[in-house]
Amino acid sequence: MHERAFRFGRASHLVGIAGIPAAIASETGVVLLNAGLVHRIGPFRLHVDLTRRLNALGYATLRFDLSTVGDSSSSGQSQTKQEQVCADVDDAMRLLAGEAGCTRFVLMGLCSGAQNAHIVACTDPKVAGAIFLDGYAYRTIGYRFRYYVPKIFDMARWRRMLSRGSQTATDKQKDPDPVFAVAPSPRDVVRADFVDMVARGMKIFLIYSGGISNYFNHRRQFRECFGPVMSDARVTTTFVRESDHTYILTGDRHRLVERIEQWLSRNFPVPAVGTSS
Amino acid sequence: MSARPTPELPLYFGANRELFGLFHPVEAPASHAVLLCAPLGQDHIRCHRIYRQLANALAADGTPVLRFDYFGTGDSAGDSEDIDWDRCVDDTVEAANELRERAGTDRIVAFGARLGGSISVAASAEARFSNIVAWDPVLDGSVYVARMDALQKSLRTDSRRFMSPRSESDVAGQWIGFATTTRLRCQLDELRLEAAVAPTMVLDSLADASPHCWGRLVGDESMVRRLEPATPWDDLDRLEVAILSRPLIQTVTGHVRGTH
Repeated sequence: MHERAFRFGRASHLVGIAGIPAAIASETGVVLLNAGLVHRIGPFRLHVDLTRRLNALGYATLRFDLSTVGDSSSSGQSQTKQEQVCADVDDAMRLLAGEAGCTRFVLMGLCSGAQNAHIVACTDPKVAGAIFLDGYAYRTIGYRFRYYVPKIFDMARWRRMLSRGSQTATDKQKDPDPVFAVAPSPRDVVRADFVDMVARGMKIFLIYSGGISNYFNHRRQFRECFGPVMSDARVTTTFVRESDHTYILTGDRHRLVERIEQWLSRNFPVPAVGTSS
Repeated sequence: MSARPTPELPLYFGANRELFGLFHPVEAPASHAVLLCAPLGQDHIRCHRIYRQLANALAADGTPVLRFDYFGTGDSAGDSEDIDWDRCVDDTVEAANELRERAGTDRIVAFGARLGGSISVAASAEARFSNIVAWDPVLDGSVYVARMDALQKSLRTDSRRFMSPRSESDVAGQWIGFATTTRLRCQLDELRLEAAVAPTMVLDSLADASPHCWGRLVGDESMVRRLEPATPWDDLDRLEVAILSRPLIQTVTGHVRGTH
């Protein structure tokens, strides 16, 4: 067992679990941020499965709760949400640097976790990579085309609408209440953020799921949303149409862990000497 | 009695330090402590916040508390496939002893929601609980297994979650996000909870339509308290919504205070 529990941070208000490989091999540490209000173990224990797998590969990891989420408390400081997130993640990176000697970091977050990882990645030079799961996205013309055109030619749908009346049809078109929600940020700002990140040499991995089909429905939409930067060699994009937003099925979760593992190995390889099986 | 709670301490404990826990200490010596036994599966995640709120409320009231994760759950060692009923009971005994040592008292009150309540009852003799509070405990494991199977079946075609229905093999061998093994399934299927050796209070927030008879668990119906509103444990549309209940926290803290 190489996991250790910590209470840490500028006000000793954060709680997290550091996973330290038996032989520390990588200078890259991986920090996992809360997915919505789910505590640090992640949806269906995704963060536990992922961090342990990465530890076995030689990466030091930290899954932790941001201020007031999970088991962490408030720092008591007067800060904006963005300042608080940046300070919390800085505390997390300092802990991992002290415990495992990491000098650069990859952040990972799902939904609001992706949004928080994005905020930090924009400003902190210690962040060398980021994995955004169902992060920022916007309905594009392409999205609407892909969404509405099949419906126009769906005769069965027309028959249903005509027989049940317009009220039923309207109800069915309502978007489901999201379990997690990412507050919108202007698309131009997010696009410029990605350009800046790549210009700084950051490696970015965007993995979007079919669970956000109410605003994202095809892999082409990455480029439709964020432009040519999505084709940069330092950016990897994947659309996992079959999966839901929180990877509730074990097979989907297993494949997600594999994707992240492969991306990390490709972009932040562990020196062979320290690799554990 | 009122004491200002100090921050909870995250720790690993047990024979191989495989179990994760959070100990909520108090300043003054306490006559008893409370062990919070988590439910299993997605209920564990949904109840995390209310368990923390309850622990903080009890600690603020002068009662030390230990929250912990069974082997194969939460931050404890082991994979989700490793969850085993007997191991959960053993871990509860281990956690009770850890709490005795840290809190400096031999009197332990156990609290658990759903299967956490069932585990606390099953462990009551060996863990030497002085009192148990069980929130909607599972009495008949076969009913629970059937309900989980039905939920998992519904999940396959949940259009709010998936763009297209998933195959039967995609959803097989799991219950709401967690792999389940034949062993655990059989253990739960055979579960018929009998009365604990310790006085037990049942907090009932199940929907009225659910068949439940708490008599065999508590003996005295006065030890059953009805909580409103009903808790949506098995609602497919709220599988990832936290379970919260202020009446529960008030009832449990009041009951624990009364066990002095």
